[in-house]
Amino acid sequence: MIKSNNTLGIIFFPAFDWAISPTHPERQERLLYTQDQLREEGLFDIEGITEFKPDVASVEDVERVHFCFPDVPSVVTRSHLISAGGAIKAGDLIMEGQTDRAFAMVRPPGHHAMKVVHGSRGFCTINIEAIMIEHIREKYGHKRIAIVDTDCHHGDGTQDIYWHDPDTLFISLHQDGRTLYPGTGFPRDLGGPNAMGRTLNIPLPPNTSDEGFLMAVERVVLPILEDFKPDLVINSAGQDNHFSDPITNMNFSAGGYAAMNDMLKPDIAVLEGGYSIQGALPYVNLGICLAMAGVDYSHVREPNYNAERIRQDARTTEYIAELCKQLPALYFDPPKFVSKGDSRQGVITGDNYVRHKQIYYDTDGINEVQQESVTLCKQCRGLYKVETRADSGPLCLGVEIPVNACPECRAKGYQTVEDAQLKGTYRYVQLINRRDKEYIRYGF
Amino acid sequence: MLLGIDVGGTHTDAVAIDIGDKPTVVASCKVPTRHDDLLSSVTEALAAILDRIDRNAVTQLNLSTTLSTNAIVQNKTEDVGVIVSAGPGIDPHNFMPCKDFYVIDGSIDHRGNEVRALSTHQLAKAVDACRENGVRVFAAVSKFSTRNPRHENLIRRTVCNCKSVDACEHADFVTQGHQLGGALNFPRRVATAYFNCAVWRLYNDFATAVEEALDDMGLGNVKVNILKADGGTMPLPQSRTLPVQSIFSGPAASVMGIIALTDIFHDSIILDIGGTTTDIAVFADGAPLIEREGIDIGSHPTLVSALKVHSIGIGGDSAISVVGPEVRVGPNRLGPSVCLGGERVTLTDALNYTGASAVGDVAASRQAIDAYASARTLTGGKLAGDAVAYAARAIQDAARALVDEINSKPVYTIHELLEGKRIVPKKVYLMGGPAEALKDELRERFQLSTEVPANFDVANAIGAALTRTTWELELFADTQRHVLFIPSLSYRENVPSGYDLEDAKRDAANQLTMQLDSMGVFLRAEDAQITHASSFNMVEGYDMVGRNIRVKCQVRPGVIKTFGEGR
Ligand SMILES: [Zn+2]
Ligand SMILES: [Zn+2]
Repeated sequence: MIKSNNTLGIIFFPAFDWAISPTHPERQERLLYTQDQLREEGLFDIEGITEFKPDVASVEDVERVHFCFPDVPSVVTRSHLISAGGAIKAGDLIMEGQTDRAFAMVRPPGHHAMKVVHGSRGFCTINIEAIMIEHIREKYGHKRIAIVDTDCHHGDGTQDIYWHDPDTLFISLHQDGRTLYPGTGFPRDLGGPNAMGRTLNIPLPPNTSDEGFLMAVERVVLPILEDFKPDLVINSAGQDNHFSDPITNMNFSAGGYAAMNDMLKPDIAVLEGGYSIQGALPYVNLGICLAMAGVDYSHVREPNYNAERIRQDARTTEYIAELCKQLPALYFDPPKFVSKGDSRQGVITGDNYVRHKQIYYDTDGINEVQQESVTLCKQCRGLYKVETRADSGPLCLGVEIPVNACPECRAKGYQTVEDAQLKGTYRYVQLINRRDKEYIRYGF
Repeated sequence: MLLGIDVGGTHTDAVAIDIGDKPTVVASCKVPTRHDDLLSSVTEALAAILDRIDRNAVTQLNLSTTLSTNAIVQNKTEDVGVIVSAGPGIDPHNFMPCKDFYVIDGSIDHRGNEVRALSTHQLAKAVDACRENGVRVFAAVSKFSTRNPRHENLIRRTVCNCKSVDACEHADFVTQGHQLGGALNFPRRVATAYFNCAVWRLYNDFATAVEEALDDMGLGNVKVNILKADGGTMPLPQSRTLPVQSIFSGPAASVMGIIALTDIFHDSIILDIGGTTTDIAVFADGAPLIEREGIDIGSHPTLVSALKVHSIGIGGDSAISVVGPEVRVGPNRLGPSVCLGGERVTLTDALNYTGASAVGDVAASRQAIDAYASARTLTGGKLAGDAVAYAARAIQDAARALVDEINSKPVYTIHELLEGKRIVPKKVYLMGGPAEALKDELRERFQLSTEVPANFDVANAIGAALTRTTWELELFADTQRHVLFIPSLSYRENVPSGYDLEDAKRDAANQLTMQLDSMGVFLRAEDAQITHASSFNMVEGYDMVGRNIRVKCQVRPGVIKTFGEGR
């Protein structure tokens, strides 16, 4: 009998009845072979590894994080709520000390879901990590949290949600946005003026293999985590960097994923993408589970693994080494925010930071335009406000009073909502009041 | 007339049941179990029963025995050569069950594709090494053999390199992992195949001896079935290749007995209070729960399917002790109760003292309890009362913990997944020696309706007698590879691209019926239950290339008739 070094809780929800479409990469079959592999390996018989049922996230769990328009029930399915509930279960296991680590191996994924939700983008509808994190903060008190997003795609949704939050460190390693969806995630994106340096993007060139990933983690991610001293480290564990993934161009291996997890030592991992459902997911997920549990993973290898064939070239190594020299400064010594008059990068008008955004929901084919503003407050994180319209739909408003809101920003929040109801032209208004744990929506 | 014999830890119980419109127990007996000579206990019980009935009317004997269990517990098993192919994953040396364990290079993936052929060179060396060590029984196990048994077949052919089908000069018996069932779990498959081999010879010698004894008694044409831990039986001839299935069938006999003696509809708790232990089982909507994957034998998890039964060390023979201010019972058994000639006061003595029972020499119980109590500055009444209360509380705590555990984890009932259902017991059923005496105390503890059925003292033998033959199989079809495979039958067939879930369900039910038919068991169509059926579209690029179909079909464990009012 094997005994794990760390107790590990695994929440497995393969959503065998949910798909975007019958042949879409994000379909019923996706975790089938992972389930087969984990069962056949006898993973759940290892002493210290336990399978748990997912919880079901409530509408309030979603509304604590997202502005969903017109409302939560119209944008999510039951599978989304169980997937988010699987992540919540992982959070509860850790916070209540039931297990040392937890892995929510769930679908559908969530890291492309932004603060405002009108539909699905990048196969994601609601951000399951963010819903878990804010559940943790609401239930167990405020925490400093680091999210390391190792999905091949830039975690643009998570970045958007935590753009203004200085207590959440978001680091995304991904295939360079110039070569892959969603086309974002560059080193210049460092967070809003109240949270500069709390967002860090590490774009890696196509064909990066184990060597490059592990170098970036060792030289950039680990020193920053060491300095940030988070209460919790969360891994957005997307597995589409794998050399056999059909929708990306990277050369990461199952062994590499396991080694990376071993270095990051996340408290919680949440499955994100990964669409090589036969050649990669069974082995990558097994490797990650073993690494999290502290069990030998050295015999985990893909059937067609050949280190030589997928090795990155010298130029790639050189490029990543240079990146590793430059990137840490963006966290340790972030530049001051300068308003350059580009409203897409954000401008400062009075004591407000204002940003215009255009968002395309590729999965649902929706165009959204947004105006986001944050009060630049000395006392607190500032009042957050977003005006949004999807295609030619009605104008909607979201207002968030942050958890540490000063009385002034809090009062301003209520005032904004009241004004919007009385005088505004908004069809739907949603208030997220983290300070008083109050989540209200208006307009039906 | 049906006979049931349950070879238990202390007693061997036997009954004869007349199956009329309503079954009746026409004879029953208890004889001591002689662990060094189980056959003599069986024949003694049989003789006692046959004296009281017409032996020509006997048609069937169902037998539950501790033989294989004891052999494993006492380390009286045979050396086995375990030869495995694992491929990538967890290092198989972690699951090494014995010294003659050999890992051969080669790999089959989750779809059943051979990724890497088995190293015939390594295999030949492994087989030679086993032969040098005098090994005569072998387990051949490969990862994902339930999707493709190619490597196991090659290992078997190499081990038994003979022309003859019947006798082999190199191996007496080979267990192939896939024949143990379709469940995925390589480490469990290794352990199960190992144990199946380890007890094979001992079990077969016993089976032969039973057959000979029956012949001698003029019962040569009686059909003999062996109880399995999952609450079903298997015909004796089939059990010879699957002896591992007879392990831990004792609690199953009791649970099946309760099913036969009562009509359970609700979520319930079943307590079988014996001499040394109390076995606790839980029913959901009237059906017993099974272990999700299989039971542990020693420290090895296996694929042996079993009813979910939790045992605690409290029974009639459990010794009473006083620790500080607390009176305790168990978990040790230190000889028989004082009322039956023992030295140490027990729970049974306490029950005699309180007047709940009158077992053996009641006056001796009273005297011993008073003496034990006064030496600890207690009154006899207080000691006895506290001891009975302690036993009831310990049993209730364990039952509640079991229900909590079931409610917190995904568990399967015998026929369906209880996703989202919580078990809320509404009734407690008691059986075993001290059942009647503990009834009132337990009713107060549980605050639930509590029932002790008639014939509770031989309920286990009744359960054995009435348990029906069960079988299960899993069917896998992969329409991209055009194959259908039923591991437990080693049955493989080509299927067309259009093969679908309905075809698979029909084929699974047909194969199950045919298999039982070949064992001489008649199966009504409605008894073949599909317990799992799924079909996944397999996609490559953006095109559907086939379907991955999984169907599980079984005869639900149960009894052929009940003593209750009927449903
Ligand atoms: Zn991705
Ligand atoms: Zn403020």
